[in-house]
Amino acid sequence: MSFRAVFIAVVLGFALIIAAFLINRARPAAETQQPNVSLVRASGKCAECHVRQQYSVVHEYEMSRHAARGVNCLDCHQPADKQERKDHHGFAITAHVTPGNCRACHERIYQEFLRSRHAATSWAAVYGEKGLTPEQVSFAEQYQPGGAKRPPHPFVQIEGGPAMTSGCEQCHSIGKPNEDGTIGNCTACHTRHVSSVEVAREPRTCGQCHMGPDHSQIEIYEESKHGVLFNAQHGALKLNTPSAQLTTREMFVPTCATCHMSGINGQKVTHDPSERLSWYLANAITEKRPNYQQAQTNMKQVCLQCHTAPLVNRVYAQAEQVVQTTNQRVRDAQAIMDDLKKSGALSGPPFSHDIDFVYFDLWHYDGRTSKHGAFMGGADFVQWHGNYPMIQKMVEMKSLAAELKRQHGSR
Amino acid sequence: MALADLLQQRLRGAYWRDPVAWLEIYCLANLTFLAVDILIAHSVNDFRRPQEYIPLLFSVATPFLLLPAILAWLRFHNIFWWKALGYVVGWTAVIIGITGVIFHLDSRFFYERTLKSLVYAAPFVAPLAYTGLGLLLILNRMLDARSDNHPSAARMQEWARWVIFLAMAGLFGNFVLSLADHSDNAFFNPVEWIAVISSAFTFTTVLMIFVMPVTRRYLRFCAAVLGIDAAVGVLGFVLHTRANLEGPSTFLNNIRYVTPPIAPLLFPTLVSLTLIGIWVLAPFLPESVSPRKRRTAAPAE
Repeated sequence: MSFRAVFIAVVLGFALIIAAFLINRARPAAETQQPNVSLVRASGKCAECHVRQQYSVVHEYEMSRHAARGVNCLDCHQPADKQERKDHHGFAITAHVTPGNCRACHERIYQEFLRSRHAATSWAAVYGEKGLTPEQVSFAEQYQPGGAKRPPHPFVQIEGGPAMTSGCEQCHSIGKPNEDGTIGNCTACHTRHVSSVEVAREPRTCGQCHMGPDHSQIEIYEESKHGVLFNAQHGALKLNTPSAQLTTREMFVPTCATCHMSGINGQKVTHDPSERLSWYLANAITEKRPNYQQAQTNMKQVCLQCHTAPLVNRVYAQAEQVVQTTNQRVRDAQAIMDDLKKSGALSGPPFSHDIDFVYFDLWHYDGRTSKHGAFMGGADFVQWHGNYPMIQKMVEMKSLAAELKRQHGSR
Repeated sequence: MALADLLQQRLRGAYWRDPVAWLEIYCLANLTFLAVDILIAHSVNDFRRPQEYIPLLFSVATPFLLLPAILAWLRFHNIFWWKALGYVVGWTAVIIGITGVIFHLDSRFFYERTLKSLVYAAPFVAPLAYTGLGLLLILNRMLDARSDNHPSAARMQEWARWVIFLAMAGLFGNFVLSLADHSDNAFFNPVEWIAVISSAFTFTTVLMIFVMPVTRRYLRFCAAVLGIDAAVGVLGFVLHTRANLEGPSTFLNNIRYVTPPIAPLLFPTLVSLTLIGIWVLAPFLPESVSPRKRRTAAPAE
C-alpha cells in the first residue's frame, strides 16, 4: 500500500475538518450559543419561511435589541405556563405572545405594570370586572382603589359590542385579561417583533390612545414647549438608549415616557405611571391620589433634571388651582343634575336626555382637558378647549334644566 | 487468467455477479427511494411551489421506465430499449438535479448571500443526487461493453473509475450536507461532528485513487474506511430516529421538521456505489508497489 496516498488523504481530510470547524466558529454566538437545540434552530430556521411570508416581521425583529442580544423567535414564542401549545413545523410555540412570555426576562417590569392603571383598571373602565379573576380585581384594588371593582361603562350597553370592540377596546385592551392568567400586552407600547424602547418613548405611541377630546394628552403635548422642541429636535435625541444609561444628554427634550416612566439621570425607571401622578385628573371631581405626596415628589424630581425648583413649584401651584376651579365648575354642573333627578324632572336610563350628554361632555371632555392642559403646559387647552366650553355648557345646562323642570311641572 | 477473460467470465455469469447490472439496480433503487425523501423534504415547504412536485413525480415514474429497460436487457437481451429508456431517465435526472440546485439556492441565498442564509436555505447540494444518478445511468450505457459483447479491459477500467469518481462526488456531497445540516443546530451535540469527520476522511481517501497511482492494498484500505463511513451512516440513522422520537412534536412532524431520518443512509448508499467501482477496478491494479519501482522513486543519496 502506498503510504504517500494514505498520508495525503489524512492531511486533506484534516484540512477539510479544520475548515469546517473554522466556518462553524465564525458564526455569531447568538446563533450557536443557545441553551437548547430548538433555540439554536429557531435562530435562523424561522426566518427561512417568514422572511418570504411576512418580511416586515423578520425585518422588524432584525432591527430589535432582542436580535442584537441573541434573543430569538422561540425565546418569546415558546409556550409559557398555562399557554396553549401549538405544533409549528417542528417547534412547540404559542402564537399569542402575552406578558406571560415577556415576564420570563422582565418580571419586575410586569409587576410594575400590573400595579398601574394601564393594567386591570384600564380594562375595567370599559367592561368592569368581566373577564378578570377575583384575585386580579383585588390585586388591582390594592393599588388603584375603585379602579377594577366597578360595573361596566354604560356605553357598553348603549353602543353595543361592535362599537366597543372596534372602539374603546382597542386602547383599553392594554389591560385585557389573557387566558394564561396574565393581564395586558407589552406590545401595545413596545410593538411586536421590534420590541422597541425607542418606539415606546415616542410621543405618538402614547398618542395612539391618549388623544381626542376625552384624554387629549397628545394634542396638549404637541402644543406645549416640550412638544415643540421635540418636533424640532427629535433627530438629535437618542431614544434607543437603555433605561439604565438614559441621561438628559440623550433626551434633552422630554417625551411622555421621560416624565412618566423613564429613569433619566439615574432616577428610578417605572412601568407604573401612577408612581409619579398625584391627582386623579380623569375623574369628574379630581381628588388627590393616596400616594399624593410621594408621587408629586417623584415627578418633581424628574422635572428638576431640566428645570429649577421655583419654576416646577409654580407650575404645580398654578395647575392645582386649575384643578380646584375645574372641580368647582363640575360640582356646579353636578348640582344641577342632582337637583333634576331629585325633583323627578330627569329620569329614565343614562344618556337618554340632551342634558345627560352636555353634562358628560362638560366634565369628561372639557374638565379633563382643562386639568391636563394645566399640568402639561397646554395653555390653549386650559382656556379655549377647557374652561371656555365648560362655561358655555353650564349656560346650556341651566337652560335645558329649566326646560326639563318646566316640562315636569306641566305634567 | 487474463483480465479481459475474467471480465468476460463475469459478464457471462449471473446478473448478480455483474457490476453493470448492480449499477442499474443501484440507480433504480435510489431514484425510486428519492420519492420518499422528496415527499418528506418538500412537505416541510408544504409543496408551496408546483415545481416541487416535479422530482416527486419523476421518482414515482422512474421504476415504470427503468424496470422495463433493465428487463429488456437482462431478460430479452434488447440493448436498444435498455439504452433508450435509460438515456431518457438519465438525462431527465441530470436536468432535474441541476434545476433543483438553482431552485434551492433561490429559496434565500440569492437574496442574501451569507453563510447564515446558506445554512438555513434548502439544502442546495441535495438535488445533485438526481444529477449523479442520471450520470451513472448515462455512463452505464456509454461505457458499457454490452453493445459489442466484448468489453475491453481499458473500457471496464474507465467505467470503474467513473463510477468511483461519481461516488466520490457524492461522498463530498455527504461532507457538505452533514456540515450544512448539522449547522442548523450549530452542532449542539458534539456527536454531530462524527458525520463531518467521517465524510471528510472518506472523501479524501477515495480522492487519492485519482491523484496518484494506487494499489489493490490501498483499495482494501479504502474499503475499510468506507466500511467505517457506512457504520457512521447507520449510527446517524439511529440517532436521527431517536431525536425524532424525543422531538418537540409528533413523530411524523419531527421527521418532517426536526431531523431527516433518511439523510444518514446516504452514507452506506454511497459506500455501496464506491465499492461497486472498487470491485471492478481492483483486478486492474497491482497488489503493491514493486520494490524496484520504490527504489527508482527513492531520492539519490
